[in-house]
Amino acid sequence: MFHRRRSEADFADEIRTHLELEADDLRQEGVSPEEARFKARRTFGNVRAAQESFYARGRWVWLDRLLRDLRFGVRSMRLSPGFTLTAVLTLALGIGANTAVFSVMNAVLLRSLPVADPQRVVYINTSGAPNGTGTIDSNDTLSYAVYQALRQPSGALSDVMAVGLLSGSRIGVRIGSLPEQAEADMVSGNFFSGLGVRILRGRGFTSEDESRSASVLVLSYDYWTRRFDRDPRVLGTTIYVKSVPFTVTGIAAEGFEGVEPTHSTDFWIPLQNRAEFNVLGNAPENGKLYQNNPTWWCLRLMARLAPGVSRAQAVDRLQPIFQQAARTGLGNLHPGERPVVLSFTDAKVFAGFEDEYGKPLRMLMTMVGLVLLIAITNLILLLMARNAARQREFSLRLAIGARPAELLRQLLTESVLLVVSGGVLAWGFSIVATRVLARWALIESSLAPDRTVLLFTCGVLALSAVVLGVAPFRTAISGGAELALKTNAATAYTDSGKSRLGKTIVALQMALCLVLLVGAGLLTRTLENLRNIPLGMNTTGLVVFGLNPQVVHNQPELVRFYRELQTRLRALPGVESTTVMSNRLGSWWSNNSSFMIDGHEARNPDGTIALARSNDIGPNFFRTIEVPVLFGREFTDADGESKHYVAIVNELLAQRYFPNQSPLGHQINGLAIVGVVANHKYRSMDETPIPMAWWDYEQGPGEGEMNVEMRVRSADALAILPSVQKVVAQMDPNAPLIEPTLQRDQFERTIGQQILFARLAEFFGLLAVVLVATGLYGTLAYRVNRRAAEIGVRMAVGARRGQVVWMILRDSLVLTGIGVVVGFPLAVLAGRALASSLYGVQALDPATYLFAVAGVVVVALGAGVAPASRAASIDPLSALRME
Amino acid sequence: MPTQPSDDRIALLQGTLDLLILRTLLLGPCHGQGVARSIGRQSEEVLFVDHGSLYLALQRLEDRKWIRARWGVSENNRRARFYELTAKGREQLMEKTSQWNRLTEAMGRILNSGPQSEEV
Repeated sequence: MFHRRRSEADFADEIRTHLELEADDLRQEGVSPEEARFKARRTFGNVRAAQESFYARGRWVWLDRLLRDLRFGVRSMRLSPGFTLTAVLTLALGIGANTAVFSVMNAVLLRSLPVADPQRVVYINTSGAPNGTGTIDSNDTLSYAVYQALRQPSGALSDVMAVGLLSGSRIGVRIGSLPEQAEADMVSGNFFSGLGVRILRGRGFTSEDESRSASVLVLSYDYWTRRFDRDPRVLGTTIYVKSVPFTVTGIAAEGFEGVEPTHSTDFWIPLQNRAEFNVLGNAPENGKLYQNNPTWWCLRLMARLAPGVSRAQAVDRLQPIFQQAARTGLGNLHPGERPVVLSFTDAKVFAGFEDEYGKPLRMLMTMVGLVLLIAITNLILLLMARNAARQREFSLRLAIGARPAELLRQLLTESVLLVVSGGVLAWGFSIVATRVLARWALIESSLAPDRTVLLFTCGVLALSAVVLGVAPFRTAISGGAELALKTNAATAYTDSGKSRLGKTIVALQMALCLVLLVGAGLLTRTLENLRNIPLGMNTTGLVVFGLNPQVVHNQPELVRFYRELQTRLRALPGVESTTVMSNRLGSWWSNNSSFMIDGHEARNPDGTIALARSNDIGPNFFRTIEVPVLFGREFTDADGESKHYVAIVNELLAQRYFPNQSPLGHQINGLAIVGVVANHKYRSMDETPIPMAWWDYEQGPGEGEMNVEMRVRSADALAILPSVQKVVAQMDPNAPLIEPTLQRDQFERTIGQQILFARLAEFFGLLAVVLVATGLYGTLAYRVNRRAAEIGVRMAVGARRGQVVWMILRDSLVLTGIGVVVGFPLAVLAGRALASSLYGVQALDPATYLFAVAGVVVVALGAGVAPASRAASIDPLSALRME
Repeated sequence: MPTQPSDDRIALLQGTLDLLILRTLLLGPCHGQGVARSIGRQSEEVLFVDHGSLYLALQRLEDRKWIRARWGVSENNRRARFYELTAKGREQLMEKTSQWNRLTEAMGRILNSGPQSEEV
């Protein structure tokens, strides 16, 4: 039962009545009215204490105290806005950087696919594709024959899902009247049910959809949001995929972005059995699609383990089945060839990224950890300085009866306030940062912080709050109650222990700063070196775009289409020359195969079968990208009409297989070599030279998707794109320009990871410098303040201003010196750890170390200048008057 | 959790004071100051009641519904808060009185017995 609480006022009334009644009684006993009132009060005792007890009765006293502490904390924070702002920003940057990097690490290295029971889902991998097969990724893609074999009931797997890429990049779709590009995969009928991905609206696929090659389509939640504004009426509408109409029948659950690492799939269609939908958009090889071609390993396979079967058991049971299926269409093993081996990997969002990103991410995590350490120690310095200034306040409170525990509680409350405000800012910062990072790294999958990250951040926040609350406590109470009675500025703040702690922290920060600067320096040099790698071609004004014309159905049409297109493109103002190629330069794509030189299989010097990279290109290719033709000539229009099959090789291939002779007239794969070109980059910027050959696409079997390269004479080469789009639209209204970009940018994407890490390292190095500088500045400024009287005395007895300045700067330089000495071995360790991420620079690069040392010295001097000049401008008289 | 400071320190006093208050109110409704005076007078000024504690004790008894209170007018025309025993309070008074009697009897027996008891 609840009844109205009695108010404190009512209780006070009662006590007042008591005093009056008591006084009345005393008066009746003959005491004078004045005396009666006084005596009544005296006999009552402590009125306030009684009222306080009444107030405390039945209350959540701790909550009450907490609220009071919070109010007090907010008030004292508002009193020093400069301190609060610095502290909160420092924390926000320190913790935000950690949250962001951890978030990326979590997404890339730890996060599982958002599927049901992800521990039971695996990617199926192979140790390689057998000799004599073609592959997209030698470990990740398998043949349709393997898919068929593995999905036979074996008791090991309950589902096997297949994914086929429709294109190496994006495909053309039409939703309204204009063509656009989208990312799409074709998948097996059990894709959604096997993975356990919920279908939000409509339906997913069935095995019937797969066997009939049904023209149905499931949108991803993200694409539905982005492209259709979450309009439910999109179900049942038609989307033209490569000009073929598909009906939207479902929308997948939120958060599922497909199974291609770093890519976010826009929609899925069932596996198709028609030429337009051959994997990668390739033309059928000898009339065979991926489904009938056992020597094309092009499907990504996933599986769900059968209940109660462990991974090892499943692999054991499937190994013979797999190895038998792998031989389909190949016959017996070649002499010396080992059978390929099946294996499973975790169904992570970024499957297979551990190798590439694991190390740099851990390194970045260490860097931001150091930044956080600097940030926290900075705040400890700031808090110590601030609390030293508040020593009088604390002493006074101790003197009037506050217990040390109460002071500690208040300090903890204040640090919690700081940390919470910093944490909230940090969370916002990290959400923005992960988005920016994803864009820089060209990652479409979400890197946004999730619950794991939240837990991590809360842990960091809690730890920071405790450290920041407890560390300055000693300073706060060290004055003791008696300090309140002292008024002398010179004696009030003297605690050698405290300034020793402060000095240690500053030296430690300098050491950490040195480590970060060395790391940032090494990575920046690496980036410089990577960027300056000669590509062997001139990329100025080179624009590239992909095209997948749907109006083309055979080789002669293809050649006609591109010849006509190029004629029209060359007519555009500013276009100097154009060419076409199958694999886009700098896109990681390449054809790799063994090859025959004059009828013999080419071998490496060690006797193993040699591989050459190749590309199908059109006439004018080398003239357009400006690669010198050393001997012979490049392809011409005449080659396209001729039955005399020709090839071009690079310098390296010529030197290795035709030493001291001209390769012209010899044969590669039965084609006559008509030219030798200088070595230049093909797949990526940091690749090592490899033997290469080029075929004339006009003579070849024909490819679906081609890339067009054009040299534009214009400051803003990309400005040509709208007119290009118009030209293309005249020839094929359904074909969008696929990923149009500058050739230079395309190449830089291949060092995108290094660029990203170097930029981040630079950012964190800079952050460390700023933090250390503010921390040092704060400490020095505080000490100059504290020593104002002493400095005044020194100057009064004849110290010159220069000596005072030197006294302050010397402090800061000595700390820096200690920091450098301590930090140097640490930096060497860090450099060693980085070694494998470096390019063209040694882990012990002297210039970088000099730069880093110079950096911290500049920080030390920079942070010391203002306090030193303040010290020098102290007026001895007024400083002494402070006494 | 409601906290009452220094609970254990005044536990004994509390019990005693509660009993005295209940006994005083058995004579009829009375305000706080009257209760204090009455206890002082009846104990021939041996017992002094700390007034602050008294009012807190009154409040506690009221919270327990052993007594109830309402504002009224005193004999010398002052507005005062009058306390009155409830049925539950009367019951408690009987029980506590007998407990107290047994306690004092037992204490008396021990304290008044001679040192010879150790020789038995």
